[in-house]
Amino acid sequence: MRLLAGLLALVIALPAWADCPLDLGRGTGLVIFSSHYLVAFRPEPVRIEIGEPFSLLFNVCTKNDKPAELVAIDAQMPEHKHGMNYRPTIVSLGEGRYRVDGMVFHMPGRWELAIDVRAGEESERLSHELVVK
Amino acid sequence: MLALAASAVAQTPLPWSDDDVTAIARHGPWPPSAPRDASNRVAGTQAAVVLGEHLFNERRLSADGAMSCASCHVAGRDWSDGRARAVGRGELDRRTPSLWNVGFAHWFGWDGAGDSLWSQSIRPILDPREMAGNAGRVADLLREDKALACGYERAFGHRPGGDDETLLIDAAKALAAFQATLVSPRTPFDAFRDALVAGDREAAARYPLAAQRGLKIFIEANCAACHFGPRFTNGEFGDVGIPFFTRPGEVDAGRLDGLAKLANSTFNLLGRHNDDASGASALRTRHVQRLHSNFGEFRVPSLRQLGSGPFMHNGHFATLEDVVKHYSDVSPDRLHSDALPLVRPLALTAEQSSDLVVFLRTLSVEVPPRPAPPPLCP
Repeated sequence: MRLLAGLLALVIALPAWADCPLDLGRGTGLVIFSSHYLVAFRPEPVRIEIGEPFSLLFNVCTKNDKPAELVAIDAQMPEHKHGMNYRPTIVSLGEGRYRVDGMVFHMPGRWELAIDVRAGEESERLSHELVVK
Repeated sequence: MLALAASAVAQTPLPWSDDDVTAIARHGPWPPSAPRDASNRVAGTQAAVVLGEHLFNERRLSADGAMSCASCHVAGRDWSDGRARAVGRGELDRRTPSLWNVGFAHWFGWDGAGDSLWSQSIRPILDPREMAGNAGRVADLLREDKALACGYERAFGHRPGGDDETLLIDAAKALAAFQATLVSPRTPFDAFRDALVAGDREAAARYPLAAQRGLKIFIEANCAACHFGPRFTNGEFGDVGIPFFTRPGEVDAGRLDGLAKLANSTFNLLGRHNDDASGASALRTRHVQRLHSNFGEFRVPSLRQLGSGPFMHNGHFATLEDVVKHYSDVSPDRLHSDALPLVRPLALTAEQSSDLVVFLRTLSVEVPPRPAPPPLCP
């Protein structure tokens, strides 16, 4: 519910990006942004279980409505400086939407997602922290 | 007896915060739902379980008829053998892993070279250092032994025909069906965990105070980072500072080699022997990555039914006390971590070490002798 409220608040606060569909099909998701990009994503299944594979569904948008793509994604535990034991794959679903398979958080704690996006020649890394228990 | 029972309930449980209760609750409930392996079409079927148990005890699977799976995985020794290093046709480099709760795992062997219980069951049959068998020997046994042929027909729905490799795979799938039934019993910890979650202080108070203190150390030391969940393992791999050397000049690279073997195996879940048409069971195999940091990593063992030792992947420690001492004294230099290390010296006092051992022992119970398997075709 908190995520949904945050998502709605963001849509209201950023009318210039209102064309970027943030609802990824289940009425909930996470949104991160920079001065150029807006990225919405949600895990599938919605609850991430320790040691269990999950997917991420993405929608990648730009502020100026140029096409954007998801280039790479990785995750690590900053405290321990180790990443995942698995290499995720990215499948484009068209129109800025992507499906990432093969994610596994094998330990409880704080994980940092590194999300590389690109629009034309410009690329950027966005990050987001998740705490899994 | 009455006095003992009275003293057992007279104590007060330690104070546990909500976060503590949440952390403890994650180690249950026990037992979980029965495991289901989609890659094995006979998993969970009674006929395959019976055939698998007979094959598990079958010495004729080995080249010289001297060794069965049960020679090393002894029921009365928590499905291990009590040796520091397994003995096949000679001494091997690693300890015989317990088979308790093996059906819930997703990587098999100390190095995770197997991605299914059935593929892992093939390895010791073919390994020249262990049973030194071959597909033809297994296939002939299934075709020619009347009882086994009958058991095979019941399990698979047809007579044991087909090529030798197919019959080897089927034998392994029956072996896996049996091993997946080896779920460890409930323990004093489980009774405590359930009582704590239910808010039943009286029942919780029956758990020994020393075990409660040991459990607090377990939580505070973040042991659950690796020994996570109801099985007390996240099923992955780690380097906890055990020496790599198997003999002078030779090292056991652990997970690093295991992943190479997995990739080269024709029996892995990406191959044609996987019965799961959806492909979902092969997800980990498809995505797992081989990293330099995998060198010297070994599978995180479950802490349930630990047995009487030796412990660690190579039997490096004879007793549970030795294991706790290792985690108390481990050298940070050996672990060469430039971040917050997952394993760090806990610097436990003698009493704390003793409490931690008491806690770990409450994850096990005495198990009654296993009865003989039912006949294949009565």
